[in-house]
Amino acid sequence: MSIYQRLPGYTWLRTQPRARAVWQSLPLILHLTRQDLIERHTGSLLGGAWTFVSPLVNILVFVLVFSSIMGAKLEGFGAEIDQYAYSIYLICGMLAWIAFSNSLGRVTRLFKEHGHLVTKINVSLLSLPLSVLLTETVVYVIGMGFFAGFLLLVDFPLSGYWLLIPLVYLLQCVFVYALGLTLAILAVYLKDIQEVVSVVLQVWFWVTPIVYVLEILPGWVQWGMQFNPAFVLVDAYRSLIMRQQLPDFLPITLFALLAFGLLALGLWLLNRTERDLRDCL
Amino acid sequence: MIHIQRLNKTFKLFHRPADRLKEAITGRTRHESYHALQDITFEVAPGEVLGVLGRNGAGKSTLLKLLNGVLIPDSGDIQIDGRITGLLELGTGFNTELTGEQNITANGLMLGMSRDEIDAKREAIKAFSELGAYIDEPLRTYSSGMTMRLAFSIAIHAEPRCFLVDEALSVGDGYFQQKCMKRIREFKASGGSILFVSHDLNAVKMLCDRALVLEAGRVAFDGDADDAVNHYNRIMARQAEEEEGRQQQRHQGAYGSQAVSVVDGWLAGEKSQSTMLSSGENLHIALKLQAREALDAITVGILIRDRFGQDIFGTNSYQLGQAVSISPGETRYVHVQLKADIAPGKYTVTVGLHSQEHHLEDCYWWHDSYLQFEVAGFQHQIFSGVCRLPMTISTPDTLPPMPRDSLAPGHAETASQRQETP
Repeated sequence: MSIYQRLPGYTWLRTQPRARAVWQSLPLILHLTRQDLIERHTGSLLGGAWTFVSPLVNILVFVLVFSSIMGAKLEGFGAEIDQYAYSIYLICGMLAWIAFSNSLGRVTRLFKEHGHLVTKINVSLLSLPLSVLLTETVVYVIGMGFFAGFLLLVDFPLSGYWLLIPLVYLLQCVFVYALGLTLAILAVYLKDIQEVVSVVLQVWFWVTPIVYVLEILPGWVQWGMQFNPAFVLVDAYRSLIMRQQLPDFLPITLFALLAFGLLALGLWLLNRTERDLRDCL
Repeated sequence: MIHIQRLNKTFKLFHRPADRLKEAITGRTRHESYHALQDITFEVAPGEVLGVLGRNGAGKSTLLKLLNGVLIPDSGDIQIDGRITGLLELGTGFNTELTGEQNITANGLMLGMSRDEIDAKREAIKAFSELGAYIDEPLRTYSSGMTMRLAFSIAIHAEPRCFLVDEALSVGDGYFQQKCMKRIREFKASGGSILFVSHDLNAVKMLCDRALVLEAGRVAFDGDADDAVNHYNRIMARQAEEEEGRQQQRHQGAYGSQAVSVVDGWLAGEKSQSTMLSSGENLHIALKLQAREALDAITVGILIRDRFGQDIFGTNSYQLGQAVSISPGETRYVHVQLKADIAPGKYTVTVGLHSQEHHLEDCYWWHDSYLQFEVAGFQHQIFSGVCRLPMTISTPDTLPPMPRDSLAPGHAETASQRQETP
């Protein structure tokens, strides 16, 4: 008997056909993730190392461009900022946003893109988005690894609050999974959803204070920002990493409620439409 | 063991994709239903091969998809004990960018094998597929036959209890098809249940214990494979008759002076009473002739060709010493009877009316592929090749004396030498 079998609810979960299907497809999910990360690069010279290239380049760009070049410029305008403060602020937000938007976009396109699997193999529709989340998580973890290395280099303190980052990230995953699943189902019926999502993500990025600071916005917008899920997430990471304090309780609780509410909606929607969904894929 | 009870499946047909969403939201019906399968009940016992026959659109693919779990039925019960895999035209979820080797892993996992199982079976899969060094090439470089070989190898090595086979098998070359058939028989002998969907009536007769005929989403026949094939043929024949302008086409396809012509004709096997007969069965061809001019000594000729257009056998009444004479406006009937000692396959009958020995002199009426028939299965003994030649085998105590001029095997060299110096 392994550890997870002792967890409460395990027996109940085993009796749920959907949960069992997800459980049984875990090896496949892991394999798809592996394929996404490593085997996609087979035949290339660097191979699996390519997975590390894009997070590394991201970090380097943010650090070099924004601390040495932009930072100097900003100082010229009289802004008093620490040399790396903006880079750290930016990276906190960017890494989370990249994971968020990439996975949301990909999960939305999932059933369409993996049509060749869904229409040929009895694969659990609930489990497919997990492979996307897993892939993006690995990329995120690599990015955070580089980020931590950079912080150590510039003598920025790493606190115990880092231990809470996985928790916030897990909430983020629940949110993306739930929203993505809902959108993926709708996208099967309405092709436009895919396009809408990519446009909305673009606007969302600029609406959310990721590259700029919250304080430059008018007061009422600042107040409203606590209802922007992306901002709540980004701000939570910043609290943990930069301010070394717990995130604001209310917004993150609301976010968690929203995430689980969406999850319930997505599951309900799939339950209602799965038969029809498989017919029209 | 596959146990299917009262299975129903309808597809909703929408005029516009947005209607589907509108219906989901408003709940008002905006679709037309298409009943793909209605009230299907059958069972495949362990160690049994069940054939499924049916025209295009009869519901065969839908049935396979439901069994495979890719589609979900409206109502009804599907019980399958153990793993179900198959060789399906609908594909197996291969990723064409990955190599054969990587696809073995991916596909194995999709079929529900564990990594240990896959690793244990990997060599056997590779050996069976006979892909050699190609196993390390991306799948997009494979021919369809090679893909099929890999798919079959993985599917059969996944240790299923139930196996689905459809037309995909016919992609392989003869050698590999034989190999697959052998493996399917072994699988059957070991107690597996097989569902065999095919248009190859001969294969259905050879392989299946029982067969279903699906027609318009219902089971039209369930029983002995031979009877199922006959039933299926009757459906097909009816369809052929329904085709409009059939009579007209016949005459359009004919050429000649039309001094005398065939106005109607049919053929049937003596036992089967249909255009599907067993090898060795008597074939009856009936022709109705009508003349515009008075002709004495018309030659009626028939020519049987196989599906490649190769002449298999032909003769005419002149060769047989039976001339037919006819006066203007008169109608005459010709009845031809022959023993169809030919190999299973599809054949056409070309009919010609002409004078004298061949049609090159005075051709009155000639129609290529006027009638069609198919030979499936054997009435008596099986033989190989295109036709049966009467043959006996005996075991005398001593060999009959060898004629002086004939050559025993091993004297081939002297034979060629002899030919060079006549």
